[in-house]
Amino acid sequence: MASRRRMLLKVIILGDSGVGKTSLMNQYVNRKFSNQYKATIGADFLTKEVQFDDRLFTLQIWDTAGQERFQSLGVAFYRGADCCVLVHDVNVMKSFDNLNNWREEFLIQASPSDPENFPFVVLGNKVDVDGGNSRVVSEKKAKAWCASKGNIPYFETSAKEGFNVDAAFECIARNALKNEPEEEIYLPETIDVASGGRPQRSTGCEC
Amino acid sequence: MDSVSSSSSLDDSTQLSPNSDSKAVDQRFDLLSVTDEPIQSEPSHRGNGDGFTNGSLNPERSTGDEDDDQLGVEDQELVADEGPSSPNSCSYACERGSSSATSVSRIDAASDIDDIEIREVRNESSFEGISDSQPSSGVPGKHRVDEDDASISWRKRKKHFFILSNSGKPIYSRYGDEHKLAGFSATLQAIISFMENGGDRVKLVKAGKHQVVFVVKGPIYLVCISCNEEPFESLKGQLELIYGQMILILTKSINRSFEKNPKFDMTHLLGGTDDVFSSLIHSFSWNPATFLHAYTCLPLAYATRQAAGAILQDVADSGVLFAILMCKHKVISLVGAQKASLHPDDILLLSNFVMSSESFRTSESFSPICLPRYNPLAFLHAYVHFLDVDTYLMLLTTSSDAFYHLKDCRIRIETVLLKSNVRSEVQRSLLDGGIRVEDLHVAPLPQSGPSPHQVQQILQTDSPERPREPFVGIGGPAGLWHFIYRSIYLDQYVSSEFSPPLNNHQQQKRLYRAYLRLYASMHDKGIGPYKTQFKRDENYVLLCWVTQDFELYAAFDPLADKAEAIKTCNRVCQWLKDVENEIFLHGASPFSW
Repeated sequence: MASRRRMLLKVIILGDSGVGKTSLMNQYVNRKFSNQYKATIGADFLTKEVQFDDRLFTLQIWDTAGQERFQSLGVAFYRGADCCVLVHDVNVMKSFDNLNNWREEFLIQASPSDPENFPFVVLGNKVDVDGGNSRVVSEKKAKAWCASKGNIPYFETSAKEGFNVDAAFECIARNALKNEPEEEIYLPETIDVASGGRPQRSTGCEC
Repeated sequence: MDSVSSSSSLDDSTQLSPNSDSKAVDQRFDLLSVTDEPIQSEPSHRGNGDGFTNGSLNPERSTGDEDDDQLGVEDQELVADEGPSSPNSCSYACERGSSSATSVSRIDAASDIDDIEIREVRNESSFEGISDSQPSSGVPGKHRVDEDDASISWRKRKKHFFILSNSGKPIYSRYGDEHKLAGFSATLQAIISFMENGGDRVKLVKAGKHQVVFVVKGPIYLVCISCNEEPFESLKGQLELIYGQMILILTKSINRSFEKNPKFDMTHLLGGTDDVFSSLIHSFSWNPATFLHAYTCLPLAYATRQAAGAILQDVADSGVLFAILMCKHKVISLVGAQKASLHPDDILLLSNFVMSSESFRTSESFSPICLPRYNPLAFLHAYVHFLDVDTYLMLLTTSSDAFYHLKDCRIRIETVLLKSNVRSEVQRSLLDGGIRVEDLHVAPLPQSGPSPHQVQQILQTDSPERPREPFVGIGGPAGLWHFIYRSIYLDQYVSSEFSPPLNNHQQQKRLYRAYLRLYASMHDKGIGPYKTQFKRDENYVLLCWVTQDFELYAAFDPLADKAEAIKTCNRVCQWLKDVENEIFLHGASPFSW
């Protein structure tokens, strides 16, 4: 067996509906972009293999639906995530304001062991729109919020033009990896007949 | 008897079933099966007719359970309508022929099934190149790692098995690379978790020919996708065994790892065990132990098995928990320490693990293993040594430093086995094979009970030109092709060897599936339990007979005569009684279950 085995990282993408979560994922995985908006129902699942530092990773990307009616799916979807990506549209203030809700909701539902240090990445998407003229969330403002939440890495992206998408996902993978706990030795107990404790049996029959 | 429709729904859980095939199946069995209602039938004159002297034919059914050792010929309810006397008549056609009292929907349902079966047959031939018998008949192991859920070949596989964690991380897939199937795995988790969120549990989804069966074991999810027409209960049982195999390798401590860290990726803990799972999955299509929950013994003379048992007992008294001597998947002898008993499923999973792990064959080994039915929470230590390519000894202990002691035990056992000719007898039994339907003699056998190969010799010398019934042509008497007999008290079964016309893998697999359906219908908690079932279709006459002491499953030529078939089943039971000391392991210390 290879000493450095392949790793699988579960990545959840969250954010208001219409900020471009599915487009970002499509750009990253399939190098495709469509201007047509199709709402995600429940969640989409994509797989992407990446390699860096001579290691092979599989990103299992959970592209969730932004509509509120799907929020009940939370617990089921967030469990065991290695990284959470928060996406907002730099042209819509509300989508930025909601990042806080998304983050808190995720931490409640996923209840990671170390919430303070759980790896998030924030993406400000659609920086290409109208040549930046309709932009309402400044880079400075976004970075300030990220800094206040434990230095969350921040990327400005354009799913349409593929700008910064790869860099963002590489950072996502690295962050997910950083949080990986030290490998513990798997050491189950051994049956101890001598100490009086009779081994438990699935059927209660006394033979 | 018409109340079956309610029993086919799965209790407190959700069954997503757009077209309720399962209901139709239930109803079909219902029509073909025997009720427990006491019936009044005339004492048969046939009972005395053919020199069958020990009175095993008794047409009167007793109302109690105890005296059910005889199968009555005249028992009307035993038999489904055989319908028109056309030789091509199958059970479905018969059902339609006799359906004047049944509803229209039932007829529709029955013809539905008919269609599916026909499609299935066509399917088997057209996809032969990738039917799952093909790769598994070769070396077991991971098949087609280059496939993923986008490949056509992957989608055409008839039976998939998946293990994943409750966070959707793949752990095992029968076909394809687990990492490439990460998206598929996530979808499965989303479905299961979505139902869980609603306080519900998904057990089965039907989509056309495909059944998707789910089993949840704490943080571990197991899923089977099959289009093989196997009963839901069989598929569920197979997933339980796969889980058991995983527990055997890792114990239930994996649950703790998931509690500590939901992100836990356990694939690496199962590194190198692909062959173990492949071989177990392969056994679902040939090994009756996987659905009977019983083990089988290598046929051996009583004294030979006693000799093997004695030395194992000797060793067990020196602090070994279980001492098991096996040949392939058959038990030669086994012994447990005081108060320790071994479940047949544990024997199955342990022998599968040992036989499919190449490293056990190269040297003596000492390995932690867990017996899921004995104690799923903790490891035992197994000393494993192959005496030859097929025969292996397993000594199980609780002590992690017992290697040298067990090695000494093994040397002692090996010496005794050699001296007492057990090894050579085992080789001989292997060459002779098991019980054959052709050897079922028409006349009663001597009570002394010769071993199967001796029976064969007797038959060959006594009546070298033994006349067969004219209409049989092939197989045993009365068109008997195959049987499985399970002793309930012993937790053991014996299965006859496959012989013509069941001489190719495809036919054997088809019969095996027919047994699976028969078994499931006999043990259906909703509509059963039944005592007898007679079913004729285009492939076989299937006869099943369940008493307090045993279960008999027999397959005959589809044209076999009903009364003759029933008589033959009686004869099989008598025959097995005569040779039981050779085919079963008796009095294996405190081995009750």
